[in-house]
Amino acid sequence: MARKRWRPDARPGELNLTAMIDVAFQLLSFFLITVKPVDVLADLTAFRPMPDKKAVKNDNNTAMIKIMIMPGTFVFNDRACTPAELDRKLEMLAAADPTQTVLVMCANQSIHEQLIELLDKCAKWKLTNVSVVSSGGI
Amino acid sequence: MRKQEEPYLTGNLTAMIDVVFQLIIFFVCTVAMQDKAIDDSIRLSMAPHGVAKVNKNPLEINVDVDKRGRLSIVRTPVTRDLLGAILLKATQTYGADNVPVIIRGDEKTKHEAIKDAMDACSQAGIIKIRLAAMKERGS
Repeated sequence: MARKRWRPDARPGELNLTAMIDVAFQLLSFFLITVKPVDVLADLTAFRPMPDKKAVKNDNNTAMIKIMIMPGTFVFNDRACTPAELDRKLEMLAAADPTQTVLVMCANQSIHEQLIELLDKCAKWKLTNVSVVSSGGI
Repeated sequence: MRKQEEPYLTGNLTAMIDVVFQLIIFFVCTVAMQDKAIDDSIRLSMAPHGVAKVNKNPLEINVDVDKRGRLSIVRTPVTRDLLGAILLKATQTYGADNVPVIIRGDEKTKHEAIKDAMDACSQAGIIKIRLAAMKERGS
């Protein structure tokens, strides 16, 4: 069987890339114009305990931190406080024990932004055990 | 004897360019479809300290709660009972611990609407709830 010999005088190949480069630039321009900055989302985790109707109501649980979210304000252990004060208190609590339970009680008429603000503060100080319950009426 | 002229060595790029265009069209179309599942009218609250969401779990259920307190999943309005039924079916199929539920509430919505979504979750046996927030606004 005859082998094909390599001939050094073969002429180099030529490709007409003009059209492809044109299209590539068109695509590049299109994507640069249409691209929009991406929002970075965050997930804030909370526990939603099931209401236990058989459970005996016990409000004397002092080991639990209770934060109420009222329309326009936060109530920390039965005392109204500003977001800055709340932040400082959470920082101190987290320094003592970051695993303690934070019970967040939301009033029906409070806005969702307040709950996110509180959960964000908890995330900031690494308080991971946060439970959210709803208090009706208000 | 006269030497015969060598032909040019050329590659046929037509098929490759065809495939490249097909891929571009595919990705452009699928990205657009994914965007349609998210309700852009919901303005999320800022949470700069929250954990950034990196991976999307294919089982996750996004429950949207708009400014007026209406519940919806993938832009389809649902009642609280229907939401509860959907979540119950999902937990029965995959297990309560394996169905991540993310509540995307508008920053101005009242808590009573969020409460409906949370109650539907807890009735379906889902006690760990994630609330979506904005870590960094792109625009």
